[in-house]
Amino acid sequence: MKNLFGYIGRAFITFLQDLSSVLYLFRDTVVQSVILVSDRKKRKQARLLAYVDEIGTQSLLLVLTVSALFGIALTVLISFQLKEIGGYNYIPGFVAMAVFREMAPLITAVIIAGRVGASFTARIGTMKVSEEILALETMAINPVRFLVVQRFIGLVLALPALTLLAGFTAVFGSFLFGSTRLGIRPDTYLRETLDVLMFRDVYSGMVKAAVFAVVIAMIGCYRGLVVAGGAEDVGRSTMRAVVSSTLTIIVLDTVMTAAFYG
Amino acid sequence: MVLDGIDFTAERKKITYVFGTSGGGKSTLLKILIGALKPDAGAVYFHETDITKLQGRELDPFRKKIGMLFQQGALLNSFTVGENIALPMREHTVLDDNIISIMVKMKLELVGLRDFEHLLPGQLSGGMRKRVALARALALDPEVVFFDEPTSGLDPIMASVITKLIADLNRLLGITCIVVTHAVEEAMRIADKIVILYMGKVLAEGTPQEIRSSASPIVQQFITGSPDGPISFHASSKDFREDLIVG
Repeated sequence: MKNLFGYIGRAFITFLQDLSSVLYLFRDTVVQSVILVSDRKKRKQARLLAYVDEIGTQSLLLVLTVSALFGIALTVLISFQLKEIGGYNYIPGFVAMAVFREMAPLITAVIIAGRVGASFTARIGTMKVSEEILALETMAINPVRFLVVQRFIGLVLALPALTLLAGFTAVFGSFLFGSTRLGIRPDTYLRETLDVLMFRDVYSGMVKAAVFAVVIAMIGCYRGLVVAGGAEDVGRSTMRAVVSSTLTIIVLDTVMTAAFYG
Repeated sequence: MVLDGIDFTAERKKITYVFGTSGGGKSTLLKILIGALKPDAGAVYFHETDITKLQGRELDPFRKKIGMLFQQGALLNSFTVGENIALPMREHTVLDDNIISIMVKMKLELVGLRDFEHLLPGQLSGGMRKRVALARALALDPEVVFFDEPTSGLDPIMASVITKLIADLNRLLGITCIVVTHAVEEAMRIADKIVILYMGKVLAEGTPQEIRSSASPIVQQFITGSPDGPISFHASSKDFREDLIVG
């Protein structure tokens, strides 16, 4: 029992230390982003949008495939319940709301945490091991500005865009299944969707996506920057980055859903 | 404690070699000298400034005056050779891209690798990577260049090439060189001053001649690389027989 309390206590202290370090990195990243964006020469050199392209093209197919399948699966599940009462016409509205408010931001963020967040940690961690980050510091180049800002800006722009596309794809998957297998007329599907879906639903999803992007970028980069050993620590840090980003995303999602709709 | 009471001066426009046993605190010393580690106590003076008192961005003016050749080169792997060398100039000067491109070629010519500007570090041999890293360290025409094991892991010819480059940088460009290494012969050949670290302290310092004629058996063992001498092959503190019996 004593060991258990000790373990919990140590874990809590580590959590607080990590949290304060991530917040410090976030503050530093915002400051460096402002400096970089306001300096014309450095902005041109930094290729700020390079990561938007990289994240977008790398993950688009995966995100869209998962979203389409999710839209279909959600439709199948609800149709079982609504079949008894002949309420298939409620499907479009329910799917659109669930997808834009909750599922598209959450699923896209979890995919990106595993796909992109992990790659941030692995790349920066490997650079730490091979002394590239120390070399940057020795050349008086701020590693946060050089390595974190691009990734941060890239993810904050790319994740909401991917989330929006994921939302439309999931609705489209549901539309295809509903109109071909459940006999919902296409025009009815469209009308019901537009009747229920509010701008606020889409907007709240985008806000969530932007917050998740900050979480993934900060945790991914932080875990890379604190790699201390060799290849083994890069692996361990990458795993920890994915686990902590995913957990943080789920916790923040619950908090934000309660704040928006509670 | 890795280092304890280290005290030496590396003179301007001279080559100072620091050598010692593996794990003897050479790399730690180098990190303290470039401001990457803070010592618990003591000072490191560059001109009149104690760099151990500087924090974060305060170190930038000092770092723009130094270059560092890391043991493995530490080149940015996603950047080409040319981009690696151009990086410090792009960051810290207002030079036009065309001028930077000419400067990159000049630095590469200095290390004999002008044809390799567009390759990635991964496409180069270990020796070439070190030469490119040296060209990058020279990008801002530093006053001092630090070398961490510049010849380790290289074939004898490449090791001689790097050693000659260090000597040339010093003689032709007047750059102060501080080299941390195991390579005694190389140090004896080109050093103006040698500092020997042992057990975290300065064991001896002086010109190669002074070191060679030192009466200290430990210094002699360092120079000759003899396996027998005061520095024991066994690193274990416990008696072997006792250790076997007690388990």
